[in-house]
Amino acid sequence: MAKIPVTIDDKPLEVETGRTILEACKENGIEILTMCHLEGIGDVGACRLCLVEIEGINKLLPACTTKVAANQVIKTKTERLKKYQRITTELFFAERNHICAVCVADGNCELQDLGYKVGMDHVRFPYLFPQANVDTSHPMYVMDHNRCIMCTRCVRVCSEVEGAHNWGIKNRGIEVRVISDFDTPWGDSTTCTSCSKCVNVCPTGALWPKTVVQGQLVKQPKMVSELVAKRKMNL
Amino acid sequence: MNRQDLKTIAESAKAEHNQFKHKVCVCCGAGCLSSGSEAVLKKLQDEVKARGLDKEIRVVPSGCMGPCNQGPLVKVMPEYAIYQKVNCENIAAVVQSQLVEKRPIEDLLLFADSRPKPYVNAQEDPFFKKQLKVVLKDCGSINPEIIEDYIVRDGYKALDKVLFQMSPEEVIAEIKHSRLRGRGGAGFPTGIKWETVYKYVADQKYVICNGDEGDPGAFMDRSVLEGNPHRVLEGMAIAGYAVGANKGYAYIRGEYPLAIKRFEAAIKSAKKLGLLGANILGSTFSFDIEIRIGAGAFVCGEETALIASIEGKRGTPRPRPPFPAESGLWGKPTLINNVETLASIAPIINKGGEWYSEIGTPKSAGTKVFALAGKINYSGLIEVPMGMSLREIVYDIGGGVPGGKEFKSAQTGGPSGGCIPKEHLDVKMDYENLVSLGSIMGSGGLIIMDDSSDMVDVARFFMEFCMDESCGKCVPCRVGTKMMYDLLTKICNRQGTRHDLDRLEELAVYVKEASLCGLGMSAPNPLLSTLRYYKNEYLAHIERNTTLEGVSHG
Repeated sequence: MAKIPVTIDDKPLEVETGRTILEACKENGIEILTMCHLEGIGDVGACRLCLVEIEGINKLLPACTTKVAANQVIKTKTERLKKYQRITTELFFAERNHICAVCVADGNCELQDLGYKVGMDHVRFPYLFPQANVDTSHPMYVMDHNRCIMCTRCVRVCSEVEGAHNWGIKNRGIEVRVISDFDTPWGDSTTCTSCSKCVNVCPTGALWPKTVVQGQLVKQPKMVSELVAKRKMNL
Repeated sequence: MNRQDLKTIAESAKAEHNQFKHKVCVCCGAGCLSSGSEAVLKKLQDEVKARGLDKEIRVVPSGCMGPCNQGPLVKVMPEYAIYQKVNCENIAAVVQSQLVEKRPIEDLLLFADSRPKPYVNAQEDPFFKKQLKVVLKDCGSINPEIIEDYIVRDGYKALDKVLFQMSPEEVIAEIKHSRLRGRGGAGFPTGIKWETVYKYVADQKYVICNGDEGDPGAFMDRSVLEGNPHRVLEGMAIAGYAVGANKGYAYIRGEYPLAIKRFEAAIKSAKKLGLLGANILGSTFSFDIEIRIGAGAFVCGEETALIASIEGKRGTPRPRPPFPAESGLWGKPTLINNVETLASIAPIINKGGEWYSEIGTPKSAGTKVFALAGKINYSGLIEVPMGMSLREIVYDIGGGVPGGKEFKSAQTGGPSGGCIPKEHLDVKMDYENLVSLGSIMGSGGLIIMDDSSDMVDVARFFMEFCMDESCGKCVPCRVGTKMMYDLLTKICNRQGTRHDLDRLEELAVYVKEASLCGLGMSAPNPLLSTLRYYKNEYLAHIERNTTLEGVSHG
C-alpha cells in the first residue's frame, strides 16, 4: 500500500492510504477519545468525542469516519477540542441517570473512565433525570435505559456481527431509546440469540448479565473485535 | 413521440387556446383551496356554461398566484385583472361585469380593501411590479395537471435542446455559466455539483429532487410542485442527462398530498407522451422518476438522511465525506438538488446561462422565491432578483406591517436562520450578506415580526422546533438542543440568571461546531442572532426579572 505524508499534532507521519484519522493516530501512539467507535463494527461518527481540526477545513470532523488525505495537517488536542470533549462528557452524564455508586459497571465503565480523562470534576449543566425503564424480562441479561448513552454499539454489533437484528432505535431527539424487536420486552424477543455480544460491547452498565452485582461487571469489548478479525482470516 | 410531435402538440394546443377570448385562472394551490377555491371553480365553470360562454372563455384551475392571504384568487386574462376573496356568491357578478360588460368590479379587485385605488391590471400593482418571475413564471397561469398547458409555454423545449443540441459537458458548462446556486439553503454552486457527479465513473447514478421542505413558514417548494410540476420534472431529466443518471427520485414530504398527487400526474402524463421513460423524444437517453414520500421528519431534508430514508433505513444523517456526489443512494454517485434549483434549470437552458447570470448580484445570481409571512399586510409567495433590499420586500411588495405597528425583525432561513433587525432593513438579500448578519438565506422562509414579539421567545420557539426534530444520533444536537431549550424557557419565565446566559452562549457555540449534520450545526443560529441584536431583551428578563412592556409570550 502506498504511504502518504500527514502531520498530526505537529508530528510528521507516513500513513497508508485509505486509513481513517483514528487508525492513523492509533498506529502512531496518538490517543483519541472515543465512545461510539468499536473496532470490528462500522463507525457512525455519533458521539463527537473524536472530532479533530484539519487545516483548511472549517468544520470539525470525526476521526473515526474521516479518511486521511495527503499533506493534511491535523490537530487532535487543541484547547477548543478539549473543551468540547468536556462538554460532551458532561452532557452524557446529565442526559440520563448515571449513579455510579449503585452501578454494576462501577470501576469498569468507559463513561466513568472518560469522566476522569477529561478531568470532569462536576457537571455544569442541569441533570435531566428522565423517566427511564429497566427491562429485566430476558432470562440472562438486563437492559437498563437509565445508563444507556445511545452509542448504538449494541445495535450495530447485533446486526453486523451476530446478524440477529434484535436491537433497533425508536423515537428521536432526547426521547431516543434502544428497543428490542418492535419495542417489545427483551425476554419476548424472537430474534435475540442470547449471544452476549451486545452485553460485552456496551461501554456502560446499561447492558449486564444477571449474575453480577454492583461493581462486579467485567466486559470484553475486544471479544467482538477479535471475532471479526478471526472471521476475516477464515480460520 | 419524437421531436416533431412535441412541436405539433405545442402548435395544436396553441391553436386551441387561441380560440378563446379569455382565460380565467382560479387558484387551486393549497392556500386558496383551503379557503374554498374548488367551489368557486365549479361555480365559475357552471356560470360560464349557463351563459353559453364556454366557447369564449377557458376556465383553468391553476397553481399559486402569490398573494396567498387574499384567496381565493381569480385571474382574468388577457386583462390581467385579479379578483380577491372570490366566493360562490360574487363570482356571477365578476363574470357579468368583467367578462361580459368589460367593466372591472373595483371593490373586488386585488388589494381593493387596502389600496386607495386597486390596479385593474394587477401587473402594475407594486406587489407584482417589483417581482421577477423565473421559477414561478407559469405558476398561476397553467393547469398543472394538463401537460399540454406546460408544453405550449415552451415546456420540455429545454429537454429537447439538451438531448439533440448539447453534450452533457455543454449542459454543465451552461449551468456553471449561469452561476446558479443551490436554493435549498446552503447555496452550493449547482454547476460544480453537477460536474462532480458527472466525473465519477459508475454503472449507476441517481438524481434526487429534495422536496422535503420543512422550515416553519416556508411553502416555496410546495407551490412549485403544486403549480408547475412539469418544470421540476424537466429539470430532473436534464440533470440526469448531464450527470449520466437514468433514474430519479422525487422525495416529497407526506404533508404535501396535493404536491404528491400533481407530481404523480405529471410523471404519468410525461411517460405517456414519451417525455420520460426509454429513449426520450427518440434519443438514446432514458430516464425514469419515482416518488418517495417523507414521513414527517424534518431531518430527512438533510441529504444523507434523505438518502437513508429512500433506502428504507431510519432517516438519520451520516458524516460527510464521503459526499453523495461520490457515494450517495445505495453507494452510487448521486446528484441531489432542491425543487427550486431544479425548477430554474429549464429557463437557463432556454435563455442561456449568460441571461441568468446577469440577474441578481455578482455572487448570487438569479432570482429567489420567498414565502413572505408573519406580521405583514400582503403575505404570500414572491420571487425577486437576488440583491433586492429587505426594505423593498417588506414595504413595497409586502405593503408594510399591519395595525400601525413598527417593524421589528425579519426572520430568514427558518430554524437554521436568524433574525435581521430594523437597522439592517436595507440589507441586499443575497447569500453572503445574510450570512454576514448572522442569518442565512435558507430555503426562503421570510417571517416578519412587529414590536409585539419577544425575541427570547422567538429563539425559544425555534429551539423547541430543533429539539423536537433532532434525530437523536449525535450528542451535541440531542442533548445540547434540549439543554438550550430548558435554559431559554427558564429565562422566558423570568427565572434565568447571568450564569444561565453564559451556559447558553457556551452551548450554542459547541452545538454549532460539534454537531454531525446541518440541523445541529444551524440549530443555535436563531439564538445566536437574537443574542447579537437583542441581548438587552435577554438581560431585561434576567436582571429586572420582568418582561418588556407590551411584549407578549405567544
